Amino acid sequence: MATNFASKRLSKELSKINGQLPPGIALVKAEDFQEWLLDIKVLDQNPLYLNQTYRLKFKFSPSYPIEPPEVTFLLCADRPIPMHPHIYSNGIICLDLLGQQGWSPVQNVESICMSLQSMLTGNTKNERPEGDQQFVANNRRRPRDIDFYYHDNTV
Amino acid sequence: MAGQDTPVDPAKALEFKEKGNKCFQAGDFVAAESLYSKAIDCDPTNPLLYTNRGLALLKLHRFPLAITLSQHAISLSPPPSISMKAHFQLAQAQIALHNPSSALESSKLAHKLCIDEIVAGGKGGGSIGPITELVLRCKKELWEQREDERLRKRGGLLEECARGLERERDAYVSVLQAEEGKEEDVERVKERYGQKIEELRRTFELAGAVGEEGKRRKVPDWCLDDITFSVMLDPVVTRTGQSYDRSSIMEHLKRSPTDPLTREPLRVEDLRPNLALKAACEEFLEENGWAVDW
Repeated sequence: MATNFASKRLSKELSKINGQLPPGIALVKAEDFQEWLLDIKVLDQNPLYLNQTYRLKFKFSPSYPIEPPEVTFLLCADRPIPMHPHIYSNGIICLDLLGQQGWSPVQNVESICMSLQSMLTGNTKNERPEGDQQFVANNRRRPRDIDFYYHDNTV
Repeated sequence: MAGQDTPVDPAKALEFKEKGNKCFQAGDFVAAESLYSKAIDCDPTNPLLYTNRGLALLKLHRFPLAITLSQHAISLSPPPSISMKAHFQLAQAQIALHNPSSALESSKLAHKLCIDEIVAGGKGGGSIGPITELVLRCKKELWEQREDERLRKRGGLLEECARGLERERDAYVSVLQAEEGKEEDVERVKERYGQKIEELRRTFELAGAVGEEGKRRKVPDWCLDDITFSVMLDPVVTRTGQSYDRSSIMEHLKRSPTDPLTREPLRVEDLRPNLALKAACEEFLEENGWAVDW
């Protein structure tokens, strides 16, 4: 496969994104085809996320979209890590869509942002995943190498 | 090409070929090319030696010789996998020499042979990605050539019309001067023709702008592949009714044998060509060569 597989597709996504994005999603930085930053907001009145903006970091491999991008929340001065039973306090997200098994190449940056928005919208638990402290302290692996156990499909 | 004095010795040829392969892998294409050439001298009937040498020649940008070599390989009626390679090389050399129509023909043949390879389960099927890309590039260059031609013709027409008006003006002026007409009349005629010529240029400019910018360059969704977001060259349909380009869905299936939409099991054998959509995409590209790069 040609080396520019990912850049070709990403340049097309970018021109589409520059045209218009759904409400609550904003492009922050996309200077190359390796790493993009986007901001998302939860649009309904869920008190857990009211008036907050969260920053997402997308990292693309050269074989994107055949391979999923690595997507994490990024902690900045005014951008906290959202509280969610599937989001570790270091920003790592446990979502089947982003895993090796759940990923599909018809997904894209915009659809991932929308999935994350709805993942937050639907949540009522003000808590971190089980074992968060230990995971954050010990994890040296990249998110895509971690085998999350998607045991709970209710959140 | 083949040294007439060298006795035929297939074993020796293979020896040269192995040495050539080592040099090729190490990036020494000059040495590889000369070793493949020796191999051909020892066994002029083995088409694989020609495609190996052809590939080294492509790397060295020696395109005319690469064309001769790949054509020679094809003339030996090699097995499909080698014929595919030879056509692919031929197309690459032809496009490098700015001959998109021949290159398109060769790359289409390579594409067809590659699909046969996929159906037969041969490892040549892995080349579908680069071959697809080359076919699209040939289409684009062909379209660009036609566009250039069209613009050149139009530019020529403008100059011809302008010269015609100037001639008419000069004839008019000389008649007036011969009749010893007033200086003002001459000036009025000159001014009137000046305005006409200016208007003519403006009209052509406007028409050109409509051709370039006025026609909105938009690719309709129906001809886009949902994986690469590019125009499909060889659409295949899955059980869901969704079509993908063969090269990109194949790449996906290598990683995960599932339907991208439903995640149900999906195998290469389940894919069916979507011929009507293929024809529609071809027609669209025919008219809109720029869309290859969109």
